[in-house]
Amino acid sequence: MKYAKIYPIAFLLIMMNSCIQDDFIEDTIDPEIRITSIVDTIGFNDNFQFEYVYLDNTGQIEEVDAVFSSSNSDIIPITLDGLASGLESGEATLYVSYDNDEINVVDSILVSVGANTSTSVQVSNGEIQTTSSYQLEGDFEFRETTDGVVLELGENYIASTALPGLYVYLSNNKTSIANAHEIGAVEVFSGAHQYEIANVNFDDFSYIVYFCKPFNVKVGDGDL
Amino acid sequence: MKKTITTILLIFSISALFAGGPWPQPKGKGYFKLSEWWTVFDKHYTDTGLTDPNLTTGIFNTTIYGEYGITDRFTAVVNAPIFSRTYMNNLKSITTQEVIIPGESLNGIGDLDVAIKFGLTKPGSSIPLSITAGVGIPTGNSNGGTLGNLQTGDGEFNQSIQLDAGKSFKLINQAAYLSSYVGLNNRTNSFSEEFRYGIELGLGLLNQKLWVSTKLNAIKSFKNGATAETVTSTSIFANNSEFTSIALDVNFYVTKRTGVSFSYATAINGEIIAAAPAYSIGVFYDMK
Repeated sequence: MKYAKIYPIAFLLIMMNSCIQDDFIEDTIDPEIRITSIVDTIGFNDNFQFEYVYLDNTGQIEEVDAVFSSSNSDIIPITLDGLASGLESGEATLYVSYDNDEINVVDSILVSVGANTSTSVQVSNGEIQTTSSYQLEGDFEFRETTDGVVLELGENYIASTALPGLYVYLSNNKTSIANAHEIGAVEVFSGAHQYEIANVNFDDFSYIVYFCKPFNVKVGDGDL
Repeated sequence: MKKTITTILLIFSISALFAGGPWPQPKGKGYFKLSEWWTVFDKHYTDTGLTDPNLTTGIFNTTIYGEYGITDRFTAVVNAPIFSRTYMNNLKSITTQEVIIPGESLNGIGDLDVAIKFGLTKPGSSIPLSITAGVGIPTGNSNGGTLGNLQTGDGEFNQSIQLDAGKSFKLINQAAYLSSYVGLNNRTNSFSEEFRYGIELGLGLLNQKLWVSTKLNAIKSFKNGATAETVTSTSIFANNSEFTSIALDVNFYVTKRTGVSFSYATAINGEIIAAAPAYSIGVFYDMK
């Protein structure tokens, strides 16, 4: 079979198409700056150190020199690096901003001055929604705890059981799990349940993202 | 012509558990094929029947297929993927060009299928019937790669039974055949059982040197096995897959006993299955 000699050539030609190549994901987002230390009230003559995080155009944390300012320094003066004091009764809006030739981002928080420094428990409510043709939906509550956060899914939560390897993440980018915090594998596919997540601050992330690990595709998300 | 039809059906095997239609090999005769089968897909059918994207994944199999007539009514069948390669692409950020998830590949052998076909009707019957009993042996790797999501096999031992019926006739004054099958696949390791069926029409041209066939194959899952709710896995193999596919096969006898084959198949609907065509090319030897 003379023509059979071409079989190895055909095999090699076919196998050349079996090399690992690149898929690209559109993960560009707007840069963002975020105040990460939250307080409702600063006590009279108390000090409070505010912190911030800057997220670049993919949602990754980047070190930048941002500056703080106050809408009313008579009530709450604040240094450029975020040390605030409670001077007079009232409230002020505190800002953190960063700008360069291309970027100008700002975040703000309304703070009061009162008898004692206090913080209310941070809570966020929202909906999980599918971004694929797999079923995924449900209400959630995202709440600050003493050592982290808790994500509670509501009774109306339901997810398809057909998809293997469904994982849930906290992320700063809706389309990517790069630098995301993996909460774990989804083990409950209907009804109320919760995830307790230690060592994560309430303001560290912006989104809940559901991702199929084996196929490396996003299934759904929710805004925090 | 029936002998030729048997050979052609073997050549065209893709989705049927075992090919060759209802015509067993004559005693002492056989058919052997070395082929390359591959598919590369970047989308898949979900459980809703719609398609969703996925990271580009490729599967390539080098397979030896053989049938040998032990008697005029008993035929031994083997399908052996002697080399199987699967890979997933790198996932990169279009913004930074950095790798988010590195690609991986896995090389090995695939799952081995062996079977016995028995002609229920005697050779020469006007409407031949046969029954095939087979087993799938998990000789492949079902848990490769960093996440266990690269596979050359499904990791389960299955048993199958298939009933074939056919008819040879003349069509536009050319040799032709019609063949159909139904089968059941019993799976282990919490996989759902399957019902399989198909139909095929073949036509011989150029004095039966060139055979062209079109066929429809389908797998329907009983959905009685495990789901992600009961089994946590990062395996790319998902239970409860089903599909309907159409295929076009071309087979050319270069000599009286040897030839080359080409096949194209694609799913027209499905659930939890790749949504992309599959191709196959091969060389065969027909001991007629």
